Amino acid sequence: MQGTGNPYWDCVEGEEFCLPYCPLCQKFVFYPRKLCPNCFKSPLEWKVVPGRGKVYSYTQVRVSALPEFDSITPYVLALIELDVGVKMLSHLVDCPSEKITINMPVEMVFREIAGQKLPVFRPGEGL
Amino acid sequence: MIMSITNKTAITGMAELQPFIRADDRRTLDLLAEVTALALDDAGINKGDIDGLLVTPPSEDTYFMWPAQVAEYLQLDLSYMNMVELGGASAVGAVMRAAVMVEAGLCNYCLCLSGGIWDSQVFNTREGKTAVMSRAEIDYELPYGPMGFNSGYALAARRHMAEFGTKPAQLAKIAVDQRYNALANPLALFNQKPLTIEEVLHSPVIVDPIHLLEIVRPCHGAAAVIVPSAARALNGTRPPVWIRGAGEAYTHNSIVYAPVLTATPIKKAAGKAFAMAGLTPADVDLVSVYDCYTIAVLMALEDAGFCAKGEGGDFVENTDLTYRGQLPCNTHGGQLSCGQPSYAGGMSQVTEAVRQLRGEAGDRQIKKNRFAFVSGNGGVFSTESCLLLGRDR
Repeated sequence: MQGTGNPYWDCVEGEEFCLPYCPLCQKFVFYPRKLCPNCFKSPLEWKVVPGRGKVYSYTQVRVSALPEFDSITPYVLALIELDVGVKMLSHLVDCPSEKITINMPVEMVFREIAGQKLPVFRPGEGL
Repeated sequence: MIMSITNKTAITGMAELQPFIRADDRRTLDLLAEVTALALDDAGINKGDIDGLLVTPPSEDTYFMWPAQVAEYLQLDLSYMNMVELGGASAVGAVMRAAVMVEAGLCNYCLCLSGGIWDSQVFNTREGKTAVMSRAEIDYELPYGPMGFNSGYALAARRHMAEFGTKPAQLAKIAVDQRYNALANPLALFNQKPLTIEEVLHSPVIVDPIHLLEIVRPCHGAAAVIVPSAARALNGTRPPVWIRGAGEAYTHNSIVYAPVLTATPIKKAAGKAFAMAGLTPADVDLVSVYDCYTIAVLMALEDAGFCAKGEGGDFVENTDLTYRGQLPCNTHGGQLSCGQPSYAGGMSQVTEAVRQLRGEAGDRQIKKNRFAFVSGNGGVFSTESCLLLGRDR
């Protein structure tokens, strides 16, 4: 998806995290799209947002989903609730799976996963 | 005023193919034709009587003009047809739509068809995964290697455990009770030996906390029901199973955007169905709920009102869910023991309810069989379709 002119992935490439924002509804939108899903108005504004949130849920994938994930299996998929009010799927890294708890605070880092630079999360305490 | 379809239509014909593993050269259309012939026989009507068709999507053929493809292959002469695409809720959703269309007078006998050739590796390639993904899922989820539906239900199960203390052994009990039921079902894919909670918990963890034996096995098969008006049902040769209530609700496509992970649209869908039927969960003799994973059964029981939210774990632990038990649940063994023949998996919940309400369930026949609650669930708690079926009008 990188280099497609999609501001989301262009920002990720520069290790920044940005999301579309609806100035009318004053809400962030995820996944990125052209119209606000609430009021259906556009354009949405792209804003850089802090990659902070908490673990809404997680699962350790023990059987690789696709061959390109073989080398990192098992890995932890996590549903992250960002402080700006949206949820996104990501990985939880740098944390043994037995230490993960629901609602644990996390912060975004950028890692290469299966050949693509992606926003992922690590435990956010003790920074 | 809400239009009610209570007791205006019934299911009079029902058939299913035994779920199977080796497809050889049979294709989805072949299976649909085979099962249609059986359903017509069961209903005691002729092919020429069928003037309505609701069909679930194909597995290996193109979606384009699918109802027309099916009608052509079966050489049907129709005045109404459509495809119902609600994922796993499609088959149950087709029955609700058939009731509405027949009651509206658009057709007299609506054939609800479901089935497909579905390889066990269906979701294990990039192509297989993207075939069931939205553009948003492909762009923003697939890069993280989600394990399709497995990881979605795992996220829901994990959150349920964290919020309510639900235990892995309690979820495993659902698979165990359903396997007991399957032992009395000659059509089930897994009906050779009983299952224990220990065996479920010692089966490989695929996506924590979900074990292999809590996941459906994709296979091939087909199922059909025929829905006529009340007048035609009463003149038929088989005991009608009355469609007393129906309701649907949907909140998301990908589980990432579900409002919450521990409650499902079943609450709203079942609430509508119960209200239309004038029944409550206490009236229900059979629960026939979509069971792609054990957690799907547990949350369906909670959200449909068979126990309180968050108490599903204790409830299934202390309730005998077998056909001999207090709350018979998926007495055919469910999809967990019968296999999941594509969209026909969800139709097995309907056909089993019809069988039980007719009193034709053989060794696994439940004693009290007035009302059945049936649910279909698509995606990861995305689309929910609920029915209340009755033996008596």
